[in-house]
Amino acid sequence: MDKKLTTCIYCGCGCGLYLVEDGGLVVGAYPSVKHPVSKGCLCVKGWNAYEFVNSMERLTHPLIKENGKFRKAAWDEAIKLIAKKFKAITKESGSNAVAFLSSAKTTNEENYLMMKLARAVFKTNNVDHCARLCHASTVVGLAATFGSGAMTNSINEFEEADCFLITGSDTTAQHPLIGSRIINSVLERSAKLLIADPRKIELSKYAAVHMQQKNGTDVAWVNGMMHVIIKEGLEDKAYIALRTEGFEALKELVREYTPEYVEKITTIPKEKLIEAARTYATTKKAMIVYSMGITQHTTGVDNVKSLANLAMLTGHVGFPSTGVNPLRGQNNVQGACDLGALANVYSGYQKVTDPTARKKFEAAWNVEGLPGEVGLTVTEIISALGNGKVRGLYIMGENPMISDPDQNHVRECLEKAEFLVVQDVFLTDTAAYADVVLPAASFAEKNGTFTNTERRCERIRKIIPPPGEAKADWKILCEVAKACGYKGMNYNDTSEIMEEIRKVTPIYGGMSYKRLDPHGLSWPCPSLEHPGTPYLHKDKFSKGKGSFLPRPFIEPKENPDDEFNFILSTGRIYWHWHTRTMTGRTSTLEREAPAPYVELHPEDAGKMGIRNGEKVKVTSRRGHVELAARVTGKVAVKSCFIPFHYREAAANVLTINAIDPIAKIPEYKVCAVKVEKI
Amino acid sequence: MTLKKILKSDIKELLRQSAKEWEVYAPVTAEEGDTLFTRLPKEKGKLEKALQGINLKDEWVVISPKDAFFPQLEDMFHFDKEKIIDTPSPSKKLIFGVRPCDAKGILFSDEFFKKNYEDKYYLSRAKDKLMIAVGCLTPPRPEACFCTSAKTGPFLESGFDLQLVDAGGAYLVEIGSDKGSEFVNAHAKLFKNSEKDEEDKVKKIKSKAAEAVNLKVDFEKALEIMKGKNDFTENYERIGERCIYCGGCLYVCPTCTCFNVLDDKKGDKGVRRRNWDGCVFRGYTREASGHNPRDKKSLRTTRRYEHKLKYDYSATGMSGCIACGRCLTSCPVKIGMSKFIEEITTGKRTM
Repeated sequence: MDKKLTTCIYCGCGCGLYLVEDGGLVVGAYPSVKHPVSKGCLCVKGWNAYEFVNSMERLTHPLIKENGKFRKAAWDEAIKLIAKKFKAITKESGSNAVAFLSSAKTTNEENYLMMKLARAVFKTNNVDHCARLCHASTVVGLAATFGSGAMTNSINEFEEADCFLITGSDTTAQHPLIGSRIINSVLERSAKLLIADPRKIELSKYAAVHMQQKNGTDVAWVNGMMHVIIKEGLEDKAYIALRTEGFEALKELVREYTPEYVEKITTIPKEKLIEAARTYATTKKAMIVYSMGITQHTTGVDNVKSLANLAMLTGHVGFPSTGVNPLRGQNNVQGACDLGALANVYSGYQKVTDPTARKKFEAAWNVEGLPGEVGLTVTEIISALGNGKVRGLYIMGENPMISDPDQNHVRECLEKAEFLVVQDVFLTDTAAYADVVLPAASFAEKNGTFTNTERRCERIRKIIPPPGEAKADWKILCEVAKACGYKGMNYNDTSEIMEEIRKVTPIYGGMSYKRLDPHGLSWPCPSLEHPGTPYLHKDKFSKGKGSFLPRPFIEPKENPDDEFNFILSTGRIYWHWHTRTMTGRTSTLEREAPAPYVELHPEDAGKMGIRNGEKVKVTSRRGHVELAARVTGKVAVKSCFIPFHYREAAANVLTINAIDPIAKIPEYKVCAVKVEKI
Repeated sequence: MTLKKILKSDIKELLRQSAKEWEVYAPVTAEEGDTLFTRLPKEKGKLEKALQGINLKDEWVVISPKDAFFPQLEDMFHFDKEKIIDTPSPSKKLIFGVRPCDAKGILFSDEFFKKNYEDKYYLSRAKDKLMIAVGCLTPPRPEACFCTSAKTGPFLESGFDLQLVDAGGAYLVEIGSDKGSEFVNAHAKLFKNSEKDEEDKVKKIKSKAAEAVNLKVDFEKALEIMKGKNDFTENYERIGERCIYCGGCLYVCPTCTCFNVLDDKKGDKGVRRRNWDGCVFRGYTREASGHNPRDKKSLRTTRRYEHKLKYDYSATGMSGCIACGRCLTSCPVKIGMSKFIEEITTGKRTM
């Protein structure tokens, strides 16, 4: 029997939990009492994080597809085949004919190695991961305004805040241990809760103000709040003068966003907007909290910039219990970004377009000719498979068949892939299209680090060996690099990888494994003496002065019309994680939410004669799904919501592959559908 | 009651000796800081390392040692076509350093798992156990422990085999059963006779320890109220709305015994397992038709409180709550049994 502290595999809260091993089985997951996030508590997913690890459906051998069928293969054979194919493709069609999808589910070390494999071995920047689908807008938007594209404050600061402005985050469902801190603050300390969300989320019942905006109109209501604040003289003039630039342009732009005008665009009653603006502006410890409802739009970057403007306008950045707080979805999406699994940056957000950065990495990796042009992003990579520009794709721990927008398009592209490698813990829907499948170790079976939403880099620890012949992702990546003739990826253990990361990544400079025990450090942590940084932009912004970057409201790409007359938004629910690969194999979670559904407003359901639980057909311009109607006042009239977890009725059959022009994030939160009784 | 004595410095040796004969479970502080009940390894080097971490201080251990008998997940049997390989794991278990409230929880579960139907998996592990309790001088969960109200601590009056009373450099040892006495005899070199005045000392320590428990509720009144006619709909609705359905309260509850049964299979081979389950989940009572008698949050909340304070008590004479306070300390939104009891006995709103 063994019990080891590790970090939860699900959301970005990064709770500390002990996995319990007995007789080779992972028999439990207990919350850590001393861990600063979990403090003796977990959400239901954390409490049940042990179960899927034991599943008999785990991949245990490499598989090679022959004549349309998978057969077991030896590691040596599989790795050699990958090296041979990838080398042949790049020889024929150039470096950018291959691409790599890294994973926010894997460790920092593995993400670093994935981008090293792409860049150092194959000389391509075609490496990206699912952050593109969740917080790419944050990385761009907050870097432009503040100089750092991450959550400004930390989780325990929620316990001291007096006001929360929450938008596009169903916090109790997606980040339960942050959601619970908000509930406690409202109920026990009378903190004021302002919500802007098209749906009545669980937290709405605690809200002082709930602004139910029309989907995709976020820039308008944020500009409206700023209009009110400036009109009433509630802006923090001293802060603006001292710490920011570009205020006049903002003032000019928000002038036209009167509460009346905003009401027309967003349907938010002007009284609510005014009350929210006053409350937020006049409360000192006020935190903005947001998530996918802000980022997953064609105007995702604009939305983020607007929230940053609002926070600077009121002097709400650079102090405890304030800030702009994007809640990162995956356990390690922050880390995967930090470590450079993005098409445009190396680890620590060092730009590939910067010759100095390239030189630095060429020296560190002992290679020449690192590419200087930005690579393709997740959705672009998939499309490029379709048109033959990318011929070989290596996917580690992602399942784009279920998670990417416009599933029919994704399927066509994956079918056209000349050579597809999928490395995962289970045979996913995406893996079904692979030429080679590699069995990976789960989080219980390897060492490494995850970085949670508050930038806290913390350890995960191996408690059992991987099943069968499965291997840790980092080991597999090293073997592929070696088979391709690269000599710079040999490590005895993950701490050696972290030592390399420290040397080339200033924000992780002080994060040796020794220092990460027991509960991690928050970046920036540039040296071995640095204590880490719980909140950012103290005294001055990372980029010096904070920049107001005012943006006008732009309509979403696909609004409802006469034929497709409902707005669809998609998202996560409390009981499941993403494509259900793990939670679908966790009995308690799967039992709570075993089947797909679409939320419909009672008024709409009544008009169509649809009863609760009845099967309906939901159709968009891309495709259709059939699933049960859940008649609920959670959604607004003429709106519907589908959880994206279910392969049985994949929400992403319906969604549109329209992307933000800068962040390249798809607009999962708005598309037009019609709903029919079957 | 015979009173013996063991030096604190001899505890490691006692465990070292015991580990030969018993499967010893003891509170061990992990390298990463938390103290958890752990089965001591048999292998010498590993055992020595574990012994370094033995921790009998009054610390919050997140899960009571109930998992020695009823783990969060266990294999029940493996199957291969028609062949079934049963996997109960009988063993002699020594639960060392169990807290009085947690020991009550184990005694409660012992009864539950043999009532009506004998659960061979639980009983095979529990029947030959020896419990060495250690009383709490200060409450391990200061904001939440309310054992004096339920008379489940900070020391046991009965139900233990041995009970340790922390007297500074040594533990005074109360013997509570023949098995306990045999154990003391088997390790006679380590257990010394106590001095004359030490029985008095025990009394003093116990009363001081009881005074250290600050949180007090009217537990008996609560049981009476729950037994009779009552209407706490408003409380149940409010609590049910506040709850975020993590299941933490039941996973940490020393008397929660619910489990779900699941099959995992590949081809003809497979395994039947069971894992911790509980009444706060909607799927727990959902019927095959889809109908759910406890679909509403408030009804599931009602079930939980009535089970602990009403049904268990009327069926067994033992309350299902042993006042450890864990439901409160592991609740992300600060719902807890002590608060509920306060609400129904005083009419005050606490949550």
